[in-house]
Amino acid sequence: MSETGLRIADLHCSVAGKAILKGIDLTVEPGKVHALMGPNGSGKSTLAFSLTGHPQYDVTRGSVRLDGTDLLELAPDKRARAGLFLSFQYPAAIPGIKVANFLHAARQAVRPGDLAPAKFRALLLEKMEALGMDPSFMGRYLNDGFSGGEKKRLEMLQLAVLAPKYAVLDETDSGLDVDALQDVCDSLNALRASEEGRSAGFLIITHYPRILQYVVPDVVHVMIDGRIVMAGGHDLADRIEREGYDAIREETRALA
Amino acid sequence: MLKAFPASDLHERLAGFDAGVLAPQERTRALERFFTVPSGRAHPGRYWRVDIEGIVPQASTIAAADGRMTIGPGREQLATPAGTMTIDNPHPRALACDIVTAAGVHGPLFARAFGATGIGATKFGALTTAFAQLGAFVYLPADVAADAPITISYVAAPGQTLFPYTVVLAERGARATVIERFSGGGSFVCGVDEIVAEPGADVTFATYQDLSPDARFVATRAAKAERDVTVAWVCAELGSALAVTDVSVAIAGPGVAAHVTALFFPRDSQHVDAITTIDHAVGDSTSETLVKSAAVDRGQARFLGNIRIAAKAQGSDANLRDDALLLSARAHIDSVPALEIAANDVKAYHGATVGAIDAEQIFYMESRGIARDAAERMIALGFFEPAIAHFPTGALRDELRAALAAKLA
Repeated sequence: MSETGLRIADLHCSVAGKAILKGIDLTVEPGKVHALMGPNGSGKSTLAFSLTGHPQYDVTRGSVRLDGTDLLELAPDKRARAGLFLSFQYPAAIPGIKVANFLHAARQAVRPGDLAPAKFRALLLEKMEALGMDPSFMGRYLNDGFSGGEKKRLEMLQLAVLAPKYAVLDETDSGLDVDALQDVCDSLNALRASEEGRSAGFLIITHYPRILQYVVPDVVHVMIDGRIVMAGGHDLADRIEREGYDAIREETRALA
Repeated sequence: MLKAFPASDLHERLAGFDAGVLAPQERTRALERFFTVPSGRAHPGRYWRVDIEGIVPQASTIAAADGRMTIGPGREQLATPAGTMTIDNPHPRALACDIVTAAGVHGPLFARAFGATGIGATKFGALTTAFAQLGAFVYLPADVAADAPITISYVAAPGQTLFPYTVVLAERGARATVIERFSGGGSFVCGVDEIVAEPGADVTFATYQDLSPDARFVATRAAKAERDVTVAWVCAELGSALAVTDVSVAIAGPGVAAHVTALFFPRDSQHVDAITTIDHAVGDSTSETLVKSAAVDRGQARFLGNIRIAAKAQGSDANLRDDALLLSARAHIDSVPALEIAANDVKAYHGATVGAIDAEQIFYMESRGIARDAAERMIALGFFEPAIAHFPTGALRDELRAALAAKLA
C-alpha cells in the first residue's frame, strides 16, 4: 500500500538567516484533525509557510512528504496541486481580481476541468450560503476592503471549494467574534462530513483553545521555541486553557 | 526644431487646403500658434524620441474629403487619402456629422462648440485646428438622452498624417456616451477632442487608441463643464510608438462632477506621455482623476496630474489617484502630481503607488495552485480593472481586457 499522510520529519527552517524551526516531526493522517498550539513566536506560522513554500522561508534540513510526494522539491503552486492548502492568517488583498474568477482559476488549477462553469457557480453559491456569505461576495475584489471576519470566511470558502487532501489553518480563529467562529467551524465540520472532505487531514494552528471546542482534534501538539515539546489528546488543550504555556514550558525544561 | 519650418513655408503648407471649416487666414494663425506655443517640456527628448515638429505634413499629403456625410441615425463613412472616419449614430434625435458639413449646414450650432474650450490655444490643439478637415460633430439637443453610444472610428492610412477633430455639444440636460477609436498605420495622428457641456448635461467620452506600433499619436482633449454637468473622459492608450494625451476639464459652474480616467501600458520601446488637468475655477464641484499605468520591457511613461483650485473655488473636492506597475527592470514610469490650491475650504486628495507586483500577492495565488506566470498576468490585468470599469459597454471592456492580456503574453 502506498504511503499516506502529510509527513514532516526533522524539519529545520530559517528566516533571514535566523533558525526558527529546530527539528519538527509531525504526521497528519488522512481524515484526522491535529491541533498545533503554542505561544506567540514559537514558530507555528513558520511551519505553515515552510510547508507551502514561501520564498522567504528557508528549509535547511528535513523532509515533508504528502502521500509519498516530496513537497520540498515542488514550487508553491505544485504543492497546492498535490493537495496542500494553507488558510492564511493575513490573506493578501488583490484589487481587480473578483472572488468568483479567482476561485474558478484556483479550482481549475487544482482540479482541472472537473466542473462546467455553471456547476462551479452553483457549488460556489451553495458553499457561500453555508458560510453565511452574501452572493455579492462573488463580485468583490479579492480581500480588498474585507473585514477580518470576511477574510477568514473567504479562506474557509476557498478550503470548501478546493477540497484539498491536507489543510493547514493558520490562526483561522484569530480576530473572529463568536458568530463568525461558529460559521467557520460549521463549514469545516461540513467539509469533514462531505464526500470530498471525508479523508482530508487538518492541521489547525491556534494560540487559543477556543476553536478546538467546535472542531475536536484527534491530537494536540504543543510547540515552544521551534520544537514540538508535547503531544496529547484533547485534554491537553484544556490544560493549556487552565494553566497557560508557561507551565508546559517549565515542565519540558525540567524534563530536558 | 523650428528651423525646419521657416514661416515662408506656412502658406505653402496650407495652400490649396480650403476645406470649409476655417478661413485660410485662421488656419495660418493656428499654425503660427503651434510654432510659438512652447511644448512645456524642458527635456522633450527623454519622453519624445521623435521630432514631432519635423513630421508636420506637406500640404500635398492633405487631400480634400471626397464626400459629405448625411445627417441622422445610421452609419456613415468618409474617406480621405490620409484615413477614414466612420460614425455610428443610433439616435434619431442626436446629430452626428462630419465637421465640414457641420460648419456649412449647421454653422451657428457648430460655432458654439468648435474651439469653445480654448483648445486652439494649446500647442497641438493649434496644429490640429490648422489642418482640421476630417472630424466629427456630435450635437445633443436639450434633454435628449442618447444612452447607446455614438461611435466615431478613425483609421489612419499607412504612412499618412491625420488630424482628426471631434467636437461634442451637449445642450442643457442632454445625456450622451461617445466612443472614439483610433486604429491603422498612420505615421502621425494628431487629434483633438472637445466637449462643450451646457448646464445639467451628462457626457461620457471614451477613447481607445490602438494605432500600429510605428505610429506617433498626440491627442489634446478638453471639456468645458457648466453648472451641474457630469462629464467623464475615459482614455486607453495601447497602440503607437509614442502616445501623448493631454486631457483636461475646465469647471465653469458649481455642481459639476468631473471624471478623468486613463490607462496605458507601454511595451517594447513604446512611450506614453499623459497629462491630466482639472481646473476648479468655480467652487462646489467635485473631480475624480484615476490613472492606471503599467510598463514592461523598455516601455516608458510619464504622467503629470494637475489639479488647480482657484482662490474663489471654495467647496471644491478633488481626488487624484495614480498607480504605476513596473513589470520589468528596464520599464520606467514617472508620476508627477501637481496640486495648486489657492482656496482654503476645499478637499484635495492625492494618492499614488509605483512598483512591481507585490510578492505576497503572487505567493497567495500560487498557494492556491495558480502558476506563477498566470498569477502575475491575473494580478496585472486586475490592476487595470478599476479603470476598465469606467469604460462604457461590456463589449468595449472585454476588448480592453483582451488587448491588455495580449500585451502581457
